[in-house]
Amino acid sequence: MAPIIRMVNLTKKFGEFTAVDHLNLEVEEGEILGLLGPNGAGKTTTLLMLTTVIKPTDGTAFVGPYDVSKEPDKARTLVGMAFQEPKLLWVDSPWDILNWHAKVCGLSAEERKKRVRWVLEQVELWNDRFKSVHAFSGGMRKRVEIAKILIQRPKIAIVDEPTAQIDIVGKHRIWNMLRDLRDEGSTILLATNELYEADVLSDRVAIMHKGKLLVCDEPKKLKDSIPGGDVVEIALEKDVPNAVLAKLKEIPRVVNVLAIKQNQLKIYLNQAEEVLPKITEFFMKEQLPVRSIHMSEPSLDDVFAHYTGLTIEEAQRE
Amino acid sequence: MISLRKVWTVAERDIRMFLRYKFLLIMRAIWFVSQIALFGLVVNRMFRPDVQSAVGGNYFNYYAAGIIITMLYSTTVFIGYDIYEEADHGVIEYLLSVPVSRKELVLGRSIGGGLRSFLYVGPMMLFVLYLIGVSNILQLLVALLSLFLFTFGTAGFSITLAVSIKSSDRFDILMGVTDALIVRLSTTLYPIAYMPQYYAGVASINPLTFAADLFRWGAGMESTAFTPPLLAAFGIVAFFSIFTFLGIFLHERRLEGGGWQ
Repeated sequence: MAPIIRMVNLTKKFGEFTAVDHLNLEVEEGEILGLLGPNGAGKTTTLLMLTTVIKPTDGTAFVGPYDVSKEPDKARTLVGMAFQEPKLLWVDSPWDILNWHAKVCGLSAEERKKRVRWVLEQVELWNDRFKSVHAFSGGMRKRVEIAKILIQRPKIAIVDEPTAQIDIVGKHRIWNMLRDLRDEGSTILLATNELYEADVLSDRVAIMHKGKLLVCDEPKKLKDSIPGGDVVEIALEKDVPNAVLAKLKEIPRVVNVLAIKQNQLKIYLNQAEEVLPKITEFFMKEQLPVRSIHMSEPSLDDVFAHYTGLTIEEAQRE
Repeated sequence: MISLRKVWTVAERDIRMFLRYKFLLIMRAIWFVSQIALFGLVVNRMFRPDVQSAVGGNYFNYYAAGIIITMLYSTTVFIGYDIYEEADHGVIEYLLSVPVSRKELVLGRSIGGGLRSFLYVGPMMLFVLYLIGVSNILQLLVALLSLFLFTFGTAGFSITLAVSIKSSDRFDILMGVTDALIVRLSTTLYPIAYMPQYYAGVASINPLTFAADLFRWGAGMESTAFTPPLLAAFGIVAFFSIFTFLGIFLHERRLEGGGWQ
């Protein structure tokens, strides 16, 4: 399928500081692509260039067939954005905000009325629809912001940290709404610094750091790409001879074996779900009964650490 | 291609927002009443007959018409303050992201900023026209149409300054100074005949002079108008065109989200 967003050497500088550095990335139509990175990675700046709110310093991006630098007005007709910080005037009410947004996006009066009600009910703000957002909590304001793209149902929905400041129940509700939006035909570009969110929601994840794209692939493939990313801890009934340890290391996809104790091993490997049966079979053949097995998969944080030498938390502090 | 529907949607938003500033609306109305009922009446009694005749026989009427123009000006430039309020809350970035062209956005904001001011000052304008006593309705309608354009141009002027300066403090100071100069170097409050020559030169090309002269002409006070009505109307059209064009240029070429103080 042809990419619906294509970034070509997309660059943004603020004075001497390069916020986005020659970014080349494609987003396929109908997918949820997660832009993952710590604060300051350049995610929001990238999104703002795609929505034509800021202009690229160098390079460009194509939104559908439109070049954001040359045809920004046309590019904006395909895009809807939910900002990281809700963009609301405090005198506004959710009804006014959503009604105006629907109007400016070209919805007819009848359609607008129906959809505003439906969305306000979805984000559980129907009873508060005429209250000033001044009195709203951070989470409620965030829901008003998300509601804008649910009303608009744009061809490309750009969502910047949609669940920041939202409780876990609210997070799941928003994730489901975004999945529904994707299922209805929208392509979703999601910026987040939450590893779990990127992992469970994205079809593909693009990891950014210091304005640069490090890697982009499906979450599973990214995790599998780390040599020895899966870790299996095995406790055995008997001590393991050194010769057996050496043979264990020869099993394909086993990267390293560490003997914590003589009967307790930590095995670093790839694609553990495929290799683990072979390992248990190997121990059975060697007459070494297995007492317990504990397996842990790498996270996207491990992927980030693999490429940068830092965890996301460390990069955020940097 | 400009969509009038989108232009109106933007304008309507600005009009709706303005009605929420209840405190401002009440204070401006009190200001108007005090200018007319206190200052205007008292000052009118201070002037000698020769001065009164230079302003059409009644300074109070001259002053009341001028106050309407200053009200229109000061209420319209409020759109610039709205832009800073929006920048504070990031709403500027939101407006730049919606499917509206920059031309439609600037035109909509200019029209909204002008129209809301016209609607607000409208009842006061009617009151002043009643005090003056209008004789030629057609003449008045021509003047009102020009004043419509004057408010759109003033809104464009305020928007242009706001997006060029990007600092609310500087904008506030600049608007204070501009207000002092543009009102005082015009025929809104006194006739050009009493100004020193170098002041009169500036006043004769001031859009507030054009607006005040046209309004007085429309209200039947032709003898007090310094600028011929056609020239004044042309001046207002030029003012509207320049600042609408500048506003569009700045929005299309320079305006970006972020970087507001």
